[in-house]
Amino acid sequence: MPLFGQRTRHLKGKPRRGNRKPDTGISDPPSGRKPIDGRLDALIAEATRVFGTDTTLTIRRFRIFGSFPAAMLYFPNMLDQTALNESILKPAMTVPPGQSLSEWTSQGLLGKLASEALWHSECREIEDCDSMIQALLQGDTVLAAEGSPAALVVGTRKIDKRGIDQPGTEQVIRGPREGFVEPIGPNIALIRYRLQSAELRTRQMTIGRRTLSKVVICYMDGLTDPELLAEVDRRLSAIDIDAVLDSGYLEQFIEDNQWSPFPQVQYTERPDKVVANLLEGRIAILVDGSPLALIVPTVFNQFYQAVEDYTERFMQMSAIRMARLVALVFSLVFPSIYVSIISFNPELIPTEFAVAVAGGRAGVPWPAVVEVLIIEISMEVLREATIRLPQQVGGALSIVGVLVIGQAAVAAGFASPITVVIIALTTIGSFATPAYNAALALRLLRFPLIIIAGIFGLYGVMIGLILIANHLLSLKSFGVPYLSPLVPVSFEGMKDLLIRGPLWWMKRRPEFLKPRDADRVGPNMTEPPETNEDAGRGSSTPSNSKE
Amino acid sequence: MKATRDITATQAAAVVVSTIIGVGVLPLPLFTVQAADTGAPLVTLLASVLALVGLLFVTLLGMRFPDHSIIQYSEQIIGKWPARTINACVIVFFALLTSLTAREFGEVVVTSVLKQTPVEVTVIVMLMLAAISARNNITTFSYIHLFYVPLLLVPVLMIITLSLKNAEPLNLQPIWGNQPSGMLQGILTVAALFQGSFVMTIMIPAMRRPAKALAVSFYSILIAGGLYVVIVIAVVGVFGAQETKKLLWPTLELAKATSLPANVLERLDGAFLAVWVTAVFTTLLTSYFLTSVSLKQMLRLEEPRIFTFFLLPFVFVLAMMPANIAKMYEAVARAGQIGLGLTMVYPGLLLLISLLRRKRGKPIER
Repeated sequence: MPLFGQRTRHLKGKPRRGNRKPDTGISDPPSGRKPIDGRLDALIAEATRVFGTDTTLTIRRFRIFGSFPAAMLYFPNMLDQTALNESILKPAMTVPPGQSLSEWTSQGLLGKLASEALWHSECREIEDCDSMIQALLQGDTVLAAEGSPAALVVGTRKIDKRGIDQPGTEQVIRGPREGFVEPIGPNIALIRYRLQSAELRTRQMTIGRRTLSKVVICYMDGLTDPELLAEVDRRLSAIDIDAVLDSGYLEQFIEDNQWSPFPQVQYTERPDKVVANLLEGRIAILVDGSPLALIVPTVFNQFYQAVEDYTERFMQMSAIRMARLVALVFSLVFPSIYVSIISFNPELIPTEFAVAVAGGRAGVPWPAVVEVLIIEISMEVLREATIRLPQQVGGALSIVGVLVIGQAAVAAGFASPITVVIIALTTIGSFATPAYNAALALRLLRFPLIIIAGIFGLYGVMIGLILIANHLLSLKSFGVPYLSPLVPVSFEGMKDLLIRGPLWWMKRRPEFLKPRDADRVGPNMTEPPETNEDAGRGSSTPSNSKE
Repeated sequence: MKATRDITATQAAAVVVSTIIGVGVLPLPLFTVQAADTGAPLVTLLASVLALVGLLFVTLLGMRFPDHSIIQYSEQIIGKWPARTINACVIVFFALLTSLTAREFGEVVVTSVLKQTPVEVTVIVMLMLAAISARNNITTFSYIHLFYVPLLLVPVLMIITLSLKNAEPLNLQPIWGNQPSGMLQGILTVAALFQGSFVMTIMIPAMRRPAKALAVSFYSILIAGGLYVVIVIAVVGVFGAQETKKLLWPTLELAKATSLPANVLERLDGAFLAVWVTAVFTTLLTSYFLTSVSLKQMLRLEEPRIFTFFLLPFVFVLAMMPANIAKMYEAVARAGQIGLGLTMVYPGLLLLISLLRRKRGKPIER
């Protein structure tokens, strides 16, 4: 069986032709396409035919050096007008100093223009109309001249972007403050300046029949498993959809099991997290227009790890990580255990407490399972409402919702105080999970667990948990078992599972990712630095934070 | 589909250990004190040794034919039809073992926790759980076992540790027992609880290094048998042999008699039973998986999942055959004796014949 045996059905289709040609900037061979034949009017007619009545397309006719008829085609809102004027139009209209007009002929005019006159770094020649249309759509300027069998594409694209600011969903106390923005260019820059290594490679493709979205795969050459890279490439190439508006679209096409509640792809808006993952041998996928990068393969333990685990000292963060893990488990099982103990096994809890619980429940008309379900569902409604409301109102609502309604529900005999406490703890526990998509999965699974607890008690909860655990054990993300490094066991991986081991102790990259270079800490870094004097200088600061 | 060889020795050992530790642990002390009252720990120990011998037969055979399971190589050793006949018996036996395990645990749950639930419901729930999980491939199968092993060992060891403060060493003497005559019968009964270790025959073809199978068998019997002995020592030490004879599920009673320090949980039996669902599940999963894989191999089918749900009604009907707990334990005892023949004598004979006929499989190239 091949490594990636468990493929899903939707990816089997052949990649669409022309859908993922590498966007290298070199025009495609003009075979079968409409060539540019040198007649300026025909070219303009073709452009106006393609764009129809669109009013934003601008066609600026002028004469190169005052003598050769030419035209510039562009969408003015997508480009840098100053650059257009200063570095294209101006040099194209004035004969370069020290040259005379007689040196220029209409033969090979544009090529000579690009190499001798234009003050712009990004120029390329194209020979067919399709490439011209595509260049226009990207925000580049097309320069065509009468009698020239090619046109010049000048990279003038400039899309306004918001400033780089704090990642909204993944804030840290200690660690970098930069988050991705929407355009892909700055995002790649954010990654590359952190990882100034020639091994960082990007591979670009275009996905989306109509949106033609740029998708960039980032990986570390000589580190990432080539088989994994080929698999990512294969899955992405098979995507055939009209629009990719966010990386989330891609996730739904490349994940291994769409019917699993658990996310098999991690997303992040933190460039430092992407870099750390690249260095572990993972692959990042960026989409133009999305501030969230996808990271594959993903294993379960990534969902309760946070950036601070690595930037702060290890002992404290190990304890906090365990607290987070407890919160994660609580958010899944707490209500169902409560229901089954109250309904089936009250003898388990100490008698005094059992009496207190029974006293609290005295006026409640429903069985525990119904009560918990009602409060759980109202909590979900409140939570969703708080997210949707404008920020100014949200705070008020959450206070009204949580405090007032909770208090009133108890006073009205609608729910017992202990139930409210349990649900509150559960909800808070689910907020402690750093990964929102994993918290969502647990939130979803809580409900079937509560119901089965109401039917079968602790026995039912166990059955439910076994089903969930078996599902997790059979799940894979790009061929990597989802519970690695717990199952299958890897001692090295254990150092970063429940605790976060000291950086000098985690010598090797996670082996389940099959990195081709496994060592991350230099061989001399066997001891903490202060006792390290005789062992020679350790290698430079290891940039090995995971996540 | 060609089996992948990516199961490590740890995973294989986990499969065998978690298979052996199952619902049998609950009545285990009763079986042993019935056989030899205070000699119970000794009976358990000897039974583990016997089980080890049986498992060694299977393992040695498997190492001679590292690419095949017993269903496949038995045909090479004793010929097609004799082998098929006995293999059919083996398959029926494991289907029976599955059903009896499910029934036994169903009875435990209905008797002690869900008193108003019909036993059919608990049985079908457990069987469904096993059937759904048996649809996985053998790698995932071994992951599942590996994941649950700590969940089996920790609660039992915890309860044993906590209960030892009530134990009385005098209850364990004489270690030979007062009437050693019943010991042989007891050894056979307890050895029958180890029958799940037969799963080794399908593990070896999937193991990365089949040469390690011998160590795997040894260590897994050491762990599982060690746990059995410790349980019996704890139960007999706390209750005494005569008291234990009156308890249907002495291990459960041990949990009941124990409480956590600081009184966090007043009684542990409910919680213990809940955790014990996993132990029963792993046992059930193995026998179910073994049945469906063996059936597939005997009929030479490619699709591995074909039998999982197809088997379910048969196993369920088998499970509901015994009229009550007493009849069920009679059936368990009888099945255990037949099983000893199929899981120990049969591989032993096969090993002997293969040695005499000098049959062996192709060694795997590494």
